[in-house]
Amino acid sequence: MSKNTLLEIRDLRANIVGKEILKGLSLTINEGETHAIMGPNGSGKSTLANVLMGNPNYEVTGGEVLLKGQPILGMAADERARAGLFLAFQYPVAIPGVTLVNFLRQALNAKRGVDVPVREFRELLFKQMDILKVDRDFARRYVNDGFSGGEKKRAEMLQMAVLEPTMAVLDETDSGLDIDALRTVAEGVNSLMNPGMGLLLITHYQRLLNYIKPEFIHVLVDGRIVKSGGPELALELEESGYDRYEAAAATA
Amino acid sequence: MSAVAESTAAFSAAASRELGEGTNDTPAIAALRSEAVALSSKKAWPDSRKERPWKYHNIATLDLGRYTPGMSASNGAAAGVRSCPVTGEHAAAIVLENSDVIFSEASPDGLDLIAFSALIDGRLQKLVDERLGSAVAAGTSKLTALHYAFLAGGVLVATAPNSEFKEPVRIVRNYSGGGQFAAPHTLIVTGANSRVHVVEECRSDEGDIVVMPAVEVLPGPGSVVRHTVVHRWGTNTKVYTEQRMVSERDSEFVSLQIVAGGGVVKGHLESSLVARGSSSELYGVTLGTGNQHADFFTTQDHVGPDTRSDLLFKSALRGHARSVYYGMTRVGLGARNADANQENRNLLLSDTARADSDPVLEILTSDVIRVSHGATAGPVDEEQLYYLQTRGIPYEAAEALLVRAFAGQVLDRVADEALRDELSAVLDARWDSPE
Repeated sequence: MSKNTLLEIRDLRANIVGKEILKGLSLTINEGETHAIMGPNGSGKSTLANVLMGNPNYEVTGGEVLLKGQPILGMAADERARAGLFLAFQYPVAIPGVTLVNFLRQALNAKRGVDVPVREFRELLFKQMDILKVDRDFARRYVNDGFSGGEKKRAEMLQMAVLEPTMAVLDETDSGLDIDALRTVAEGVNSLMNPGMGLLLITHYQRLLNYIKPEFIHVLVDGRIVKSGGPELALELEESGYDRYEAAAATA
Repeated sequence: MSAVAESTAAFSAAASRELGEGTNDTPAIAALRSEAVALSSKKAWPDSRKERPWKYHNIATLDLGRYTPGMSASNGAAAGVRSCPVTGEHAAAIVLENSDVIFSEASPDGLDLIAFSALIDGRLQKLVDERLGSAVAAGTSKLTALHYAFLAGGVLVATAPNSEFKEPVRIVRNYSGGGQFAAPHTLIVTGANSRVHVVEECRSDEGDIVVMPAVEVLPGPGSVVRHTVVHRWGTNTKVYTEQRMVSERDSEFVSLQIVAGGGVVKGHLESSLVARGSSSELYGVTLGTGNQHADFFTTQDHVGPDTRSDLLFKSALRGHARSVYYGMTRVGLGARNADANQENRNLLLSDTARADSDPVLEILTSDVIRVSHGATAGPVDEEQLYYLQTRGIPYEAAEALLVRAFAGQVLDRVADEALRDELSAVLDARWDSPE
């Protein structure tokens, strides 16, 4: 019996300030699967994350993206989020004046379409904060304001934990983390993963993949997936780098 | 012409005298009133083309002939209210309807909150006679002259030395009935090392109303005075405030203007830091909607040594709302070790909203700790909006959240948590109201 498809990207093309970055990218993620897209700088990794989420600064010029069979490219970012998509940002923006707890509560209310009772919300929040090893004061701070690199990533994971997306995209979640923080964040992600959910890790380095184990690895070079394989592919990239694939793409 | 004749009659010396008799003027107030009425007819309105603080609002078009000063409370409201109509914690409270006191509560020891019309006590009468008009002079402008000539609804807040009041002192001013001109006065005189927070809430109906309030703050040495005005006026009310604080040694003054209503809300707020070690903090938040015009001219005047001032005025504007900020920081020759800051931030939420900002520094001594200023105007941050949206929050709700955050950073300066929540609710209600 084939699994249900969660995310289907078909021949996706996208520009930023008139320059084509994604040049026909296709990828399918089924329920319960963890995928990793690896690629060198400038290959289009962050563009993919932004286009999937609906960042208005990126222009889609071709292709289709389906989330649970529903086309999402015509939706605003907030609609995509409510449909179950989540992007953990590499560099989340600071919002002075908005506390994390207030932000999370509004986000959860928007996601569920009803006002979640305060007590239920607090219980959910505290449970997830314990898993991510952040203290209770953390939620009273302004969103990402003055956060360290590790705190920002934990805050992203906390949002993911509270919002319980069906399809999560993690953009360079390992960057800026020391080994302990990386382990905590990875444990958090692993505890959230469930058979009905899909996970896409976007990363330059293999480091994160020691803690979150994807079944599928894709190599992104020059806006296209040039090779797909199993976990062994990540190890190969760690040893020999992207040079071989970049050279092949250049001559293609 | 009858209109002119009427206007002269309504704002004449005889009318001023009659108003004073009705409000039980003390001889000193009566003298001030008659001096002021003479000045009011002699002085011209500020010239919008020549006087910088009036550049964006031409008051010369105001036709006084359409207004009557010192209107009494209508339909028996003056008969008195028995139960306290003031919600929120308070150390003492007074409620005025037009120029009449309709409720007042006995004040605790060390605190006096009393209408000028009820000055029987010799000590308090002496205090008002000596201090009224000492910070805001009648001759400052035609507006201040009109203020003293037709003053009604004056209130004194006085504290004894070393007294401290945790809950705010509340003054509620309600105006109803179009065609009225109101000139309320708030005089705050504090004893040495005392602490008080005065909160004034101002409301009016949808009638055509002109209000020219004056606020005089005279803190005693080492005392801390907080003064908050919540502007919840009707959309056809025009307000022109003159506020001035004159410091004493080591005194602290914190002023907050919350503009959540009114057609024109314009004010000159001046802090004269004449005494050594004194400080002033001027804060303001405007949530502007419709055709509202919010306009503040501030003066942080450092005269004495070791004086400190801070200022933060923010406005979030939608529709055709407009904000004007003109701020002057002056550091005089004797103001060594002055520390002064002024910031004006504006959020423009529509293509038709407009903010004009002009912070100015005038520094005569180089021996300062810091003198800084900054101003910005622009839409909400696109990246922040996008981030909130990626978590499922729709555009409008995300924008509202950012506006609250923007305003909230001024409210963060309010020390009293209960009051901060109350003011925050006022802003929320303002922002949620359709317009």
